[in-house]
Amino acid sequence: MRYPPGDLAIWIFILAELVVFAAFFAAYAFTRMNNVELFNEFQQQLDQRAALINTLALITSSYFVVRAVSAIREDNRRHCVVWLLAALAMGALFLIVKMGEYQHHFIVEGVSLSTNTFYMFYISLTFFHFMHVIMGMVILAAVVVMAAKGKYSAAEHTGVETGASYWHMVDLLWLIIFPLVYVMR
Amino acid sequence: MKYKSQSVAKLYFIAAIALFVAQILFGLIMGLQYVVGDFLFPTIPFNVARMVHTNTLIIWLLMAFMGAAYYLIPEEAETELFAPWLATLMFWIFLAAAGATVAGYLLFSYSDLAELTMNELLPTMGREFLEQPTITKIGIVVVVLAFLFNIGMTILKGRKTSINLIMLLGLVGLAVFFLFSFYNPVNVVRDKFYWWWVVHLWVEGVWELILGAMLAFVLIKVTGVDREVIEKWLYIVIAMVLITGLIGTGHHFYWIGTPDWWQWWGSIFSAMEPIPFFMMTVFAFNMVHKRRREHPNKVATLWALGTAVMAFLGAGVWGFLHTLSPVNYYTHGTQITAAHGHMAFYGAYVMISLAMISYAMPLLRGRNAANPAKSQVLEMWSFWLMTVSMVFITLFLTGAGILQSYLQRVSDNPMPFMVVQEQINLFYWLREIAGLVFLIGLVLYVASFFVGQNEPEAVVADR
Amino acid sequence: MKSTKRKLGIRPCTWVYLFLITFTFVTSQVGQMGLSGLTVSLLVLMLALIKGQLVGYYFMGLGRVKGLWHWPVFIWLFIPGILIGTAFYLTAARV
Repeated sequence: MRYPPGDLAIWIFILAELVVFAAFFAAYAFTRMNNVELFNEFQQQLDQRAALINTLALITSSYFVVRAVSAIREDNRRHCVVWLLAALAMGALFLIVKMGEYQHHFIVEGVSLSTNTFYMFYISLTFFHFMHVIMGMVILAAVVVMAAKGKYSAAEHTGVETGASYWHMVDLLWLIIFPLVYVMR
Repeated sequence: MKYKSQSVAKLYFIAAIALFVAQILFGLIMGLQYVVGDFLFPTIPFNVARMVHTNTLIIWLLMAFMGAAYYLIPEEAETELFAPWLATLMFWIFLAAAGATVAGYLLFSYSDLAELTMNELLPTMGREFLEQPTITKIGIVVVVLAFLFNIGMTILKGRKTSINLIMLLGLVGLAVFFLFSFYNPVNVVRDKFYWWWVVHLWVEGVWELILGAMLAFVLIKVTGVDREVIEKWLYIVIAMVLITGLIGTGHHFYWIGTPDWWQWWGSIFSAMEPIPFFMMTVFAFNMVHKRRREHPNKVATLWALGTAVMAFLGAGVWGFLHTLSPVNYYTHGTQITAAHGHMAFYGAYVMISLAMISYAMPLLRGRNAANPAKSQVLEMWSFWLMTVSMVFITLFLTGAGILQSYLQRVSDNPMPFMVVQEQINLFYWLREIAGLVFLIGLVLYVASFFVGQNEPEAVVADR
Repeated sequence: MKSTKRKLGIRPCTWVYLFLITFTFVTSQVGQMGLSGLTVSLLVLMLALIKGQLVGYYFMGLGRVKGLWHWPVFIWLFIPGILIGTAFYLTAARV
């Protein structure tokens, strides 16, 4: 194969998105240089357990999507739909846990973008990612609807692969955000 | 021209070109005033010349966009325009309003104009680029609403293509964001904040959708590449424009009193704004490379490719130069901004308008496909003269801006503004000379509409 | 053919999944124990980059792609990885 699975258009889009996040990651790491104590202090305020659950949720979700793609490659439409729904459920779990985290920080602690540089990065990075999870779920939901209507088959399933590629990117981004923002100090 | 009602576009295009000429003349006047301060004073003071220069630009681009919409939307929708008479009526209202406004700028002092137009009832005047009297702004809203209604109904009754939908989305966005020009809070921070919702979200947001749709339309026509391929590109470009451009508004919020996290958001997102422009360049050259026909209208293809290159340079590269907040800290509001503004407006919006006019005008004037070779050659000369002189204007202003930033803000002994202005005098003279070359190009452009009228149309040689 | 092969054992993607889960628990444990310092940080970063590469290679399917498109995720992990690593290294060197 010379091209990645799915529509090439989504890949160009994925690349552009990855570049934006890469810039944010580097900015985080280099800003931390001049604010080590601040970053270390407020990193400990974050909910490690929630981050673990969310990482597991996204990885599992990604795995389910892989299974959905292999199901449709074997022409098994019903399994494809079931795996995708399971993936969506994992995405929903991510959103719920994340909202719990936000509720704690924003409402209980009264944190905002202006609180300090660490929280500025924490909120920006996780919130942009949060929006991507929602976006990815919208795409996956559209794929589920099309799959349920029987639009995909072993011969033609570019749509499933396109949605899958985007969803894996959402997972990929979180795999870096998790250690960078929650663990590394 | 496939549909009779498309001919209304011709009016808009002619008025656009006339206002373009006026814009350049006033540009030259103020360019000279940079170095000969009392030139034409007190008849046309600098602030008035500047206002006319920028306002005519905006108005003629709006004229060109509307003309383009009236041309391409019926053709894409494969149906006649919903109400051609309404389009004609709105044209005259718009032209009269624009003419009256410019006359008002020139004949009255700005404060008298404000009083005369009863600005105090709904104060909206006095802000850069939005200087128009409130009554003119209301006129613009009426014209744009009638225009949107007209093209919206046309799209509804006809074929729905991606190009039409994106064009419509861009134009609706243009109308919606213009409404913020009526919001004029007392708090200066808020005022500036929402002012950018008009200015930035126009030129770095919804106008780019219009640009994308127009470019895609011209490329489909001149290259004959499959609509599906071009539309897919269009969607990616548009998605990137929206992602980077919307939050990229933050690069205007660094120093106006907004929270400091805008420095991060603005820097990172606006730093990505060149990406869609780069994609557009790749896209245009790719399509022309893959062309499935040789279109006799060579010069329209030239303008389309020129747009792709110059928009990337002017909006993308020159925008990136000073978009990061640590850089902008020194360059904010210097001639770097002017350099970027000139090349971005010319490269993105002027050139796409001229590309569209270049493609459509021969057809509107009853040709089969293209102008005679003689006329096209002259237009190509005008293309190169205007484009190259604009590159030089940009380079001279960039030089001026770098020197200005250094002398005024970076060096150990910062100099006052006016002292620095004298130091960069030479650049202003050079810019004015480049401006004169631009004017020659523009004269040739206008002349190209009249040359070789009786000669046969250009045809394509066999491939 | 495919299906018979599959019945014999666990799918490769499942193995990958198990690796990802394991690495995640390790990373999380480091965080819960409050371990810090340059070595720990770089190890955690390394794990994250490996996880990213596994996702790119197996889940996104870039492993089977030849040519230019084989590389985007790898390069994407590599460059920010180097930058983050450098920043943490310089930070540690400074203290």
